[in-house]
Amino acid sequence: MQVLFFLLPGFLVLATFLILPMGYSLYISFFDWNIVDPDISKFVGFGNYTEILSDTIFQKAALNTAIYALVTVPGQIALGLALAIALNGALRGKGLYRTLFYLPVVTPWVVVALLFEYIFVGQGGLANYILVDLLRIASEPIRWLADPVLAFVPIHLLGIWKGVGWVGVIALAGLQVIPRDLYESAALDGVSNWQKFRFITLPLFRPTLVFLTVVLSIGAMNAYVSNQLITNGGDPQDQTHFILTYMYEKTFSGLEFGPGAAISYLLAMVVFMVSVVQLRLLRRESALGW
Amino acid sequence: MKKNAIACFAVLAFASLALTACSTPNEEVAPTAADVSDEAVEPVTISYWHTMSDAESAQLDSVIAEFETLYPAITVEPTRYAYDDFKTAITTGLAGDIAPDTARMDIAWVPEFADLGALSRVETLVPGFDEISSDVFPGPLSTTYWEDGYYGLPQNTNTQVLMWNKSQFESAGIMSAPVTFDEFAANACQLSKGTDQYGFALGGTYFWAPAPLFYAAGGEVTDPSMTTAKGYVNGSGSVQAFTILKDLYDEGCISPNLLGGGIGTADGHGTGLYSMIIDGPWMVDIYKGSYPDFETNFAPIPAGAGGTSSVVGGENVVAFASSQKSDAVGKWMAYLLSEDAQVSMAQVGMIPTRASLVGDTRLPGYFEVFMEQLETAKARVPHPNWGDMDGAISNAFQRILNGDQLVQISLDQAAQEIDALLK
Repeated sequence: MQVLFFLLPGFLVLATFLILPMGYSLYISFFDWNIVDPDISKFVGFGNYTEILSDTIFQKAALNTAIYALVTVPGQIALGLALAIALNGALRGKGLYRTLFYLPVVTPWVVVALLFEYIFVGQGGLANYILVDLLRIASEPIRWLADPVLAFVPIHLLGIWKGVGWVGVIALAGLQVIPRDLYESAALDGVSNWQKFRFITLPLFRPTLVFLTVVLSIGAMNAYVSNQLITNGGDPQDQTHFILTYMYEKTFSGLEFGPGAAISYLLAMVVFMVSVVQLRLLRRESALGW
Repeated sequence: MKKNAIACFAVLAFASLALTACSTPNEEVAPTAADVSDEAVEPVTISYWHTMSDAESAQLDSVIAEFETLYPAITVEPTRYAYDDFKTAITTGLAGDIAPDTARMDIAWVPEFADLGALSRVETLVPGFDEISSDVFPGPLSTTYWEDGYYGLPQNTNTQVLMWNKSQFESAGIMSAPVTFDEFAANACQLSKGTDQYGFALGGTYFWAPAPLFYAAGGEVTDPSMTTAKGYVNGSGSVQAFTILKDLYDEGCISPNLLGGGIGTADGHGTGLYSMIIDGPWMVDIYKGSYPDFETNFAPIPAGAGGTSSVVGGENVVAFASSQKSDAVGKWMAYLLSEDAQVSMAQVGMIPTRASLVGDTRLPGYFEVFMEQLETAKARVPHPNWGDMDGAISNAFQRILNGDQLVQISLDQAAQEIDALLK
């Protein structure tokens, strides 16, 4: 009984702000929902889901989101791991670097998204200044945000830059639990640095790697702010949407609550599947005794 | 009501509203059965949501004070929102049963919210509706009409005119603003100097930006009864408007900013980067603050096949169907349309909607060109799906500029997309 008493406040908060809205939103996703008078909403079954799945803008948004995950997750991990290895070694001013690399992580998304938008502005932006005037790689200013492919350059770069510090901190913790004596005995055997990384660091680092991959992938699938601010969601021509920016547009600009709820559930299903894969991978590792 | 209670919880979670907001709205003023007989003196508080600027909000406070002197039993409680958050705020308010009594909203949203059943008809709600509506400019009034009646009153109107940099014109040997499309196109190219100066700039490809030129070229989005876009949005006037813009764009006479990621029209014009832009009366205050030395010059939109024309903007005051205080709401709406309130709000740049105020000496001098332009300005399609139609035209415009499609083919596609939205 006492346990239940202590669980209750937390459960009530969760129920009010998470479980109930989630259930209600699932309910909405099966209706042509009228926000003013829910009683007249028409039941459409899986109509909203089939409508969304055959919607070409949604398909493009899903593809964009997948590409974003495929680019930014390995990008963050590679750079974050490199950072962690550097910080794990004997480096002067380690604390200062750690703070500097963590700075983007604690800076609000809105601030850095606007910053990247200004850097990549088509007229007089810093990126164009470097490419055209300093390096002379490009002959004329590139209109990053007017192009449905180039618009992702600032978005992907921002996604990587913002997360490297966090990956670095987690990776550093992962590296520090690897016993030193393994490296020492490897050194006695005359093993090269690359072999140490390949045969000691990487296998023992794997649980951290799986954790990072899954958490970052879920984060990438939920990307929203950077895209909303840099391309207004889908500019140009609805080609640059992420799943969440499209959900927001459907729901709050188009007032189509049913399809909006359906999008959020489709996304939730993908996130759920990724989590299941994570659990499987971790379980396999513990079975192997890692 | 059970569903609404659940909705309330859902909205609470998603919008992180305070728990208290879910209690019965304004319960301190809800009249009880015993009070009904004595309604006239029972104090009532009504809420009024808006998106006004600092200066406008300050002026609104004095308008409210005058209204409350006139009706001592009514208190108006204004709440200010940022424009970008406003639609979401209203939507979550509706979902949680905490919508305001009245609000001033973008004219383009009225059919959408009326179609949802969120708004009240105003013909009987507003005292003296017939007298007010007969004196209001027809363009703005048409934006309050949906299907079977009027769902609001035009509180303030606006339109866009041409803004031109006189000193740049004169140093290029041009003594006046362009009057026809041909002059406009010629001037735009004459004033363009590579990436250092562009003769003309548009804010973007969303319909509001090219709309004045579109209407002046004789373009239309749909037929008047909103049954089809075929032969309208892809008709000859529309094709001509987009062809002119495409040609100017290809010749480098329009700044590339309209496709995104460039310098905005307000700053570009203020710094001399853009010789001409198309914008509204609020620019006077913006330039006073940001570029105090900049000389603003307005001129009517150059005339095309359809003569001079422009697009009607502005806001309508609406009453929400959930409000229980229709008497006070009606009085407040009528007062906002009164000559006193309209003249008062005009001092901060809001153009009155009452035709009887044309030429009134109490209005700021620069209103003249806007009032004149309003006589030929047209309203966007008053339809709940207007937002998606706007997107279809904007995408067509982008395809044209990028050279993905020819003007006619791109607009044919837009016509097809809009027709699907009209059904």
